[in-house]
Amino acid sequence: MPPLLQIRDLSKRFSGLVAVDKVDFDIQTGEILGLIGPNGAGKTTIVSLISGTLRPTSGHLQFAGTPIAQLPAFRRAHLGIGRTFQLMKPFPGLDVLDNVALGALFGAGSGQRKLTQARDDAAYWLDFVELGHRKAQRADDLGGPDRKRLELAKALAMRPRLLLLDEVMAGLNHTEVDEVIAVIRKVRERGITILVIEHVMKAIQSLCDRLLVLHHGQKIAEGPTEAVLADPQVIAAYLGQRRV
Amino acid sequence: MRAARGIGLGAAIALLALVPWIASPTLVQFGITTLLLAALAQSWNIIGGYTGYASFGNSVFFGLGSYGTAVAMAQFDLPFGVGMALGAVLAILCALLFGFPLLRLRGHYFAIATLALALAITGIVSNLEIAGRNIGLVLPLLKGDWVFYEMALVLVVLVTAVVFWISRSRFGCALIAIREDEDAAAVMGVNTTRYKITAFALSGFFSSLAGGIHAYWITFVDPVSAFDISLNVKMIIMAIFGGPGSVFGPLIGAVILSGVSDLLSTEVSNMASLFFGAVIVLAVVFMPRGLVHVQQNFRRLRWRYFAQNVRNHRI
Repeated sequence: MPPLLQIRDLSKRFSGLVAVDKVDFDIQTGEILGLIGPNGAGKTTIVSLISGTLRPTSGHLQFAGTPIAQLPAFRRAHLGIGRTFQLMKPFPGLDVLDNVALGALFGAGSGQRKLTQARDDAAYWLDFVELGHRKAQRADDLGGPDRKRLELAKALAMRPRLLLLDEVMAGLNHTEVDEVIAVIRKVRERGITILVIEHVMKAIQSLCDRLLVLHHGQKIAEGPTEAVLADPQVIAAYLGQRRV
Repeated sequence: MRAARGIGLGAAIALLALVPWIASPTLVQFGITTLLLAALAQSWNIIGGYTGYASFGNSVFFGLGSYGTAVAMAQFDLPFGVGMALGAVLAILCALLFGFPLLRLRGHYFAIATLALALAITGIVSNLEIAGRNIGLVLPLLKGDWVFYEMALVLVVLVTAVVFWISRSRFGCALIAIREDEDAAAVMGVNTTRYKITAFALSGFFSSLAGGIHAYWITFVDPVSAFDISLNVKMIIMAIFGGPGSVFGPLIGAVILSGVSDLLSTEVSNMASLFFGAVIVLAVVFMPRGLVHVQQNFRRLRWRYFAQNVRNHRI
């Protein structure tokens, strides 16, 4: 089976700074791939390059057989790529339900035509992330943890084939982390392929099938989670900072 | 409840339609001006209020509507309807042509660029032979202000109906998402360019119709007054004062400000512009989201509502 996402020789340069440097990797259908690395390693940049928020300086991206490097962000959403933002981006002027309904209205396959149908879908996804009781609130009235769930619901309502999760657990306490891990497991059971950027080790270990480690924009390791976490190079570059 | 509202609205429109037969000629003239301003503020609301792009180019659309009508009627003896259509086509073409590059700019840059567009178009039109160069054109006279009053009223109802539809449609959701966060909207699958240009063209279309009615009413167009930027400023003030991104806010803003400004300008002419300046400062500080938003929140928060807005500005 060909990979869902194929990335070859991907680079992104911001004037002098090389944020992503000739990175290659594949994401297989149905897997959860973890993207880890120290701050500034280029993780979020890679997610932005996949979702189309940024255009690559060079390299190839192929999603389900379609080259997407030159496609605008909205077309990639229509193909089935959904993402969350690390700095949460709710639409503050809309209530929680309509924030999610937007995903249903414009997501994969260019979404629902009818607003009422989209709102029904949105209610379903809000229940899915256990945020159903906040439907009528304004999005900017939500607290941090609830905003993380909202980001997740917005992306899910787009009915993506590939979901890119950018630090959805940052700032959550232990119980909340466990709850979000459970939600992400439920997402995978629906056959959605997931790429997660995460610093929370518990989440990485319990969710990811494989890991990819970035350092200074370059790939320094890739493989099964346990093997990568035991790799001396990875420990030196990333884990060592925390575990000394 | 809904039916009652519908009946109330219908009755209000019917009452407004009767004005030319009961009110004095002066009041009817005031009515035409106010209705045209309301239509313009409501048109601006589509691009400025819902989409969040503060356009200073809407006076261009008004001017093109005026000139389309004037050129058709004065130069080619065509009927008024053809003139309006010509003006509308010009405005839509202008919105499509310039919308593409201009709507790539965000925030202040978009405002400045549309301002430049307004100045450039004024310059071009005042050098066109067919548009009467900088002298202008004289249109045939049609007696009976009631015709213009009723046309302006129909226009207000029409553009408000469209804004009402926008406020509860997929299209409107896309515009609001663009206003709130354009990058996030694109990632969620909104074709931002297409929606922005459509909103700009829609706004231009209705502005041009107001221009056409205005030109025929005053039977004269010249570049400076047809493309007057202060008219655009008025649209913005009225929409923001009433409530940008709401269905009735711009209309309420237009009626109140037009009324007060008319009273003031009959007393001392300078007072009116001073008044607009003061209104915009006070509105931005105390109620940046307009009267409609005040009405929605005042009952709950009382005077704290204003205090909160002031605090949010960090003055």
